Amino acid sequence: MTTTVDATAPTTRGRLRPHGLTRTVLRVHRPALLVWCAYVVVTVGWMLWLHYVTGAQARAARDICRAKDGACVDFDTFAFDQGMSMAGALVAYTSYAVAAWAGASLTGRELESGTARLAWTQSVTPTRWLTVKLAVPAVVLTVGTTVLMLVYRWIWSANEGVRSDEWYYSDPFVNRGPAVVAYALCALAVGALAGLALKRALPALGTALAFIACFHLYLDERSDTLWPAKTLTGTAASRLPMSADQLELGAVTGSGARINDLTCFDMDTDTGYARCMADNGFTDLYAEVHPQSHFWPLHLMTTGLVLAVTALLVLASFHLLRRRTGGTS
Amino acid sequence: MTDTAIEAAALGKRFGWRQKGWALRDCTLRLPVGRVCAVVGPNGAGKSTLLAHAAGLLAPTEGGITVLGTTPSAARERMAYVAQDKPLYPQLTVAETLRMGAELNPRRWDAAVAERIVDEGGLDFGSKIRSLSGGQRTRVALALALGKRPELLLLDEPMADLDPLARHQLMGTLLADAAEHGTTVVMSSHVVAELEGSCDHLFLLGGGRVRLAGPLDALIAAHTLVTGPTGDLAPHIVVESRTTGRQITALIRPEGRIAPGWQTAEPTLEELVLAHLRAPGAPALTLTDEGDADNSQGGNGGNDDGETNGTRTRGASV
Repeated sequence: MTTTVDATAPTTRGRLRPHGLTRTVLRVHRPALLVWCAYVVVTVGWMLWLHYVTGAQARAARDICRAKDGACVDFDTFAFDQGMSMAGALVAYTSYAVAAWAGASLTGRELESGTARLAWTQSVTPTRWLTVKLAVPAVVLTVGTTVLMLVYRWIWSANEGVRSDEWYYSDPFVNRGPAVVAYALCALAVGALAGLALKRALPALGTALAFIACFHLYLDERSDTLWPAKTLTGTAASRLPMSADQLELGAVTGSGARINDLTCFDMDTDTGYARCMADNGFTDLYAEVHPQSHFWPLHLMTTGLVLAVTALLVLASFHLLRRRTGGTS
Repeated sequence: MTDTAIEAAALGKRFGWRQKGWALRDCTLRLPVGRVCAVVGPNGAGKSTLLAHAAGLLAPTEGGITVLGTTPSAARERMAYVAQDKPLYPQLTVAETLRMGAELNPRRWDAAVAERIVDEGGLDFGSKIRSLSGGQRTRVALALALGKRPELLLLDEPMADLDPLARHQLMGTLLADAAEHGTTVVMSSHVVAELEGSCDHLFLLGGGRVRLAGPLDALIAAHTLVTGPTGDLAPHIVVESRTTGRQITALIRPEGRIAPGWQTAEPTLEELVLAHLRAPGAPALTLTDEGDADNSQGGNGGNDDGETNGTRTRGASV
């Protein structure tokens, strides 16, 4: 009789609630989970406030400005703009905090204090331990950053007239698509690897943070090379829209050489332009740009690159763990 | 079902790349199931390294080790291990820690055993691990290990943090439990007195090598403590000798009859261990249960003494 009761009880209960290693990981890292949830809720709340309160004031001020003639400085737009860029930075730099936490707490401290060995000598292999240790925060981070990304995207496009950020600015570029999620996962992977390799919390924190900071800054610098730029010539080069990301501008001389001379770029009229070109002996102007339509190719290339690095880091973690513990199963 | 709990073959572990970084070298030993085995040796002898290999926490640099007839990682579910520093998650309560044991050992967990051990220490299930004393933490760690119902229990310096009363009581619980379930217990210690009377098997390690290995009574029977006038002890193997005035006291492994002039006595475990620790050049000795000679490798066990040198392996007279 008792066996039937015992056998049915865990299955009905186990469907909904996390159990086993998943439950243990969630319990051990409960403070981090709570901090993360609080961060997502507060940041989303802040962005909604920016849209519905600060943004509404900015949009109203802009409408008044447009109705007036002449110069009009509206400070409400400044406030919104500033808030938007701060919120953008907060979202874009999430991965830094994730890297620090993952290095210090997820693996580093466990190896330092020996609790990893406690887990590995239960009926749990080190490989499975690491799998769950990575998977549980990966799911939580993916959900959280996706929410942040979607809210940011929506506010960004809903306030087009009152923000001054362009799509190619560092933070909006990362925040408006899956790259921000990829960065968070990469930070998780580098933290886990640093913790495993260094076996101590504080050095792992420092290493993971330094890696993700360098990687993020490097990609920020180089991401515009991940998709071929568009070359514009003539007046199309000199009259670029604000939304074009300018990589290189200049004039073409009679010999066909490109020189960095912007003299003829501010000619508003066609006659002025023709005269300027003739006076300077230029045959053409050129501009290497990324138009706004290059956002997705550039963004997805960046995402792919970050995910590739993440995959390598995860593989390295498993390899290191296997080699050290000699576990195959 | 194998009758071997642990079998190490030329097991070696080097930490780092230094040539001198060997924590364990050329370690060959076998432990039958159902034994209570003491792993004894000075600090840095390789006790923890040996236990960590058995627990599947370290990959050997050379040689190999099998546990319960299979690889340590395949035997993971059937053994329990308590590390020297008794790591536990400080942010969990005692109850949550035991719950973790149940979650991570779903097929084996015996909550009653674990709770009884915690109860006997008068611990509050609601208190956080970080608020416990070292001894209380040891108790929780042991509860976690025994709750798993292991076939092999590996304990690294288990009693170091306990007061004498708790040590006596917990050791009693442990051994009674082991005897009841036929659990093989391996515990390391550098306090020999702690082990006397509770162990029936001994591994003595020194400098990363096996010095003595075998059933305790056979090891003791293979040695004799002799006292007599200064003189030649050949052909016996002298482990250690001390001269006081014209008298010589020596621990020997008799080879044949001892000359009539000598007073003989059976050494205690402590005398046996201490003599070997004081004489690092003494040859190693591995005895097997069955009494048959287990002719293994000739030795290179840190020799100073030409005559009595070489790793000796022979059957015990049981």
